[in-house]
Amino acid sequence: MNSSVTGKKEYKFSEIIADPVIKERFEKVRKYFFLRESTYDMTHRCNVRCEGCYYFAGEKQFAEENLDENSWQTLLEAEKERGITFVVLAGAEPSLVPQLCEVCYRTIPLGAIATNGLIHIPLHIDYKIHISVWGNDQTSLEIRKAKDMLARQIVNYQDDPRAIFVYTFTPVNIDQAREVTALLAQNGHKITFNMFSAPEGYQGHLRHDPDTLARTRQTMTELLLQYPETVVYSHYNIVAHTDPKGLHALYSCSYPRRNPLSDIGLGRSFRQYRTDLQWDREAACCVPDTDCDDCRHYAAGSAVVTARMYRHASDPESFKAWLDYVDTYLAVWVKDYTKGQNLCDRFIAPPSAEA
Amino acid sequence: MQNDISQTTIRIAQILINELKLDDVTPETFDPDLDLVDEVGVDSMDLATVALVLRDEYGIRIDEDDYPKLTTVRIIAEYITNKLRSDD
Ligand code: SF4
Repeated sequence: MNSSVTGKKEYKFSEIIADPVIKERFEKVRKYFFLRESTYDMTHRCNVRCEGCYYFAGEKQFAEENLDENSWQTLLEAEKERGITFVVLAGAEPSLVPQLCEVCYRTIPLGAIATNGLIHIPLHIDYKIHISVWGNDQTSLEIRKAKDMLARQIVNYQDDPRAIFVYTFTPVNIDQAREVTALLAQNGHKITFNMFSAPEGYQGHLRHDPDTLARTRQTMTELLLQYPETVVYSHYNIVAHTDPKGLHALYSCSYPRRNPLSDIGLGRSFRQYRTDLQWDREAACCVPDTDCDDCRHYAAGSAVVTARMYRHASDPESFKAWLDYVDTYLAVWVKDYTKGQNLCDRFIAPPSAEA
Repeated sequence: MQNDISQTTIRIAQILINELKLDDVTPETFDPDLDLVDEVGVDSMDLATVALVLRDEYGIRIDEDDYPKLTTVRIIAEYITNKLRSDD
């Protein structure tokens, strides 16, 4: 849409990038444009069972487990050959198969492991470790059937530079984020935020509604301002993940499951391997079996929002917001990447595809 | 028109070289028929950056859905030329 219709000034990209602060941040993040991710289910076992866990939705939980290290080695070498530079090891619980995580690390040394944090992953597997938190320990006991979860996670990963806690906001734990963040801050940990995204067909009480989304937005904003050293997030992350519309409606998801293009970007490179080392293009995304209309998952956003750089290069504030998002995503996922100060401290509306 | 396309081709090659820091090639020697993804290693984020520079330079918007079609410098030059013509 042109400026005569919207009344908004049209910026050239060169004008936006002429701001030295924007330029510096853009140069910082674009060094990581080489990252090409794929994800891998390491085992179908887990030592806890959480209500609403997307791993135990759909068919992938029934894939046979391949525990043969040589098969994994062969797969990872082929992945590297294919251009994959970043691996995400996930569901069910990768800490139960550290020997397989180690094979992956030896072959592709950039990556992250999603874990419930109850079993410590050996230090020499030097991936980023995402420790999932679903509320305070009372709530964890109810939803995850595990005692003293947060206390155990904190001890297991004390002073571990790989660790970041990922707090999943559900309708029932919004207020508890305050006590959890305070406790993590006291212990010198970092926290980022995730949103419960319903598995397909899930109609339980953890599904968000407009009211819980608005309350989550308010709580995230408070915590971001109150704990700038602890909370790894930005105003634009809050916008993207608490909008009543899901990520797919806002940005058009770029994962193969929703993206028919197979020539470039995630549509070309992304695969989601199951425990039998097979993958299926129709199901391939970072959170398979999630209901796309309800998808606000942090892992999905990392790729989906980042891919829409062009749309955000419409004016300096939108581009700053996008840079904050990418800076956050890199700090959450890439070990040794240090997040800068957020450049945009207000809510910017997501741009339309016409931007 | 042929001449326009060849000038555009050189200019696009120059932009690619600058943005992707391809130090070992010049715009004049850049093969306009190289596959940008398979042979030059360009991916969607690189292409988005190049698309923004082209937006500045030619005043045209490159649809995100068109990225996969833009497989070579020559094809990008044709795409731009066609867009400019259809905007006339
Ligand atoms: S669940 Fe989310 S990440 Fe997966 S295809 Fe749907 S919108 Fe994309």
